[in-house]
Amino acid sequence: MTVLASPSRGASLWQRWRFHLSALVLIAPIVFGPAWFHQNAFFDGKKGLGQREIGEIAVGPWSVRLAEFKLSEPDAEGRAGHAKEFALALCPACVDQVKAAYLRVGKPRNLRTAGALFSGTPYRQTAEMRVPERTTADDELWLTLEGWDGTLHQATIPIRTASPVMAAWLEKRGRS
Amino acid sequence: MDGTVSRKTSGARLWFVFHGWLALPIWAFLFFVCLTGSIATVSHEIMWLANPEVRANAPSSDARLLSYDEIMAAVEREEPGARVRFISRPVKSMFALNVAVTRPDGNSARLFVNPYTGAVQGEQGAFDFRRFVRALHAWLLMPFDGGFPIGWYAVSALAIPLLGSLITGIVVYKRFWRVYLRPRLRVSKGRRIFWGDLHRLAGAWSIPFIAIMAVTGGWFLIQAILGDNHISISTAGVPPVVSRSDVPAVDKGAPAPRITLEQAAEAVRHQLPDLEPSFVQFPSSAYDHISVGGRGSYPLIFESVDVNPYNGKVERTRRVSDRSALELVTGSMRPLHTGDFAGIWLKLVYLVFGLALTTLVFSGMMVWTKRTAIETVKVVRERRQARLGLEAAE
Repeated sequence: MTVLASPSRGASLWQRWRFHLSALVLIAPIVFGPAWFHQNAFFDGKKGLGQREIGEIAVGPWSVRLAEFKLSEPDAEGRAGHAKEFALALCPACVDQVKAAYLRVGKPRNLRTAGALFSGTPYRQTAEMRVPERTTADDELWLTLEGWDGTLHQATIPIRTASPVMAAWLEKRGRS
Repeated sequence: MDGTVSRKTSGARLWFVFHGWLALPIWAFLFFVCLTGSIATVSHEIMWLANPEVRANAPSSDARLLSYDEIMAAVEREEPGARVRFISRPVKSMFALNVAVTRPDGNSARLFVNPYTGAVQGEQGAFDFRRFVRALHAWLLMPFDGGFPIGWYAVSALAIPLLGSLITGIVVYKRFWRVYLRPRLRVSKGRRIFWGDLHRLAGAWSIPFIAIMAVTGGWFLIQAILGDNHISISTAGVPPVVSRSDVPAVDKGAPAPRITLEQAAEAVRHQLPDLEPSFVQFPSSAYDHISVGGRGSYPLIFESVDVNPYNGKVERTRRVSDRSALELVTGSMRPLHTGDFAGIWLKLVYLVFGLALTTLVFSGMMVWTKRTAIETVKVVRERRQARLGLEAAE
């Protein structure tokens, strides 16, 4: 049993505690706990519309508040390419007037190509906008609002304004 | 003759050592996961005990459950302007209805609504015990940032040593079934004997449960690998949208009239009489359906129906029979893991076996910290001697 009995103090500590070291995994929930609570509050809208508010945008007679949902580069979505998520809140007066909101890169030819449809409630809805391959940082986002009465109104937001993080990512991608 | 006996014992000893090493280095992690998992099975019931707001107390013995429309009216009365996203209504439940709303300021809340009176009894605070225990158990609270967190992989990968321990345990513990007829737990013969007996007893009794946990846990690992590599096995296809022509144009900018939830529920009952609706989801846009879902004849899988909110037509059903065999198997994994598909009695069975498994991990550690090390030294020495013997003979 000479293998098990060890003279040095460090070695004896090792002998005694080596099988319990996996308890160190519990550091993970202790470290990530606060972030978990923060993220839940964020998803519940208690930390604002999104992680970075873009501002109030006038769209015809209406206006919306737009935000980057997450302050991050577009997500890789496998074969679907890349997508960037935005959050939107309708102005209190237009909650019952706007039927749908859409967002895309570049000008849509018609309503069918208006882009990603926002979903949620009028007070907070999100859309995952596709980022086409040839998008550049100088392009614009087109926001289309469709009224319950059938009217359409549009606004444009430069990508650099909408999401500096995405613009930087596009520039990096353009160079490579 | 002598040689075969020694090889045989050496083989058995090797299995022993394998069995020991499979869980010993990770026992504390496994113990934590088993313990939090056991608590998670009854976390909802614990909330029920701790918080009267989540209970569904009937004002009188003959009280009638409210219809969906009455629930909606009650919520609008108590939370003016809030938009309902979904109502979850556990069938024949002791729990209050869970109504998810978004308020005009953009905040979401989950309201506990009495299913008999419509009173909003309270709302879910920042600390949701059930959600917390699940997240702690399954992914160590780590964030999902564009993929499954490392914590999810670490926990689900425990399925591998769990399955290994089960198999080697059955091999090592000869004639384990005897413990079913004559359970033995010697309390007064010293700690080693006690923990050893407890380990064998808990192990033999939980063989089916461990197998379920190992297989379903292994599925969670596969699920993460598939998800992170954008591989889908779903046959559900693209979610349907309401056709533009079905949405009536209205003047003066007000929403087009939609059917009520009760009308949607009626359409579902008419189409699928055996479905017990347990949740109703509101359209998330003007082109979305009202979704109604619940458990049907095969309790492990939720069935859902999409109703066009403008004309009341059932436009899609997603039933057990619409799913591929692979989807039926994989779809059954989560309910089999959590045991939440048959009522509180099954949850209690899961709790008991979950605690047995937790005990198994702990007693294993108590037995093996010393023994595995000693046995390993013996096996190594034996093998070395055998090799030396062979070399000497050559």
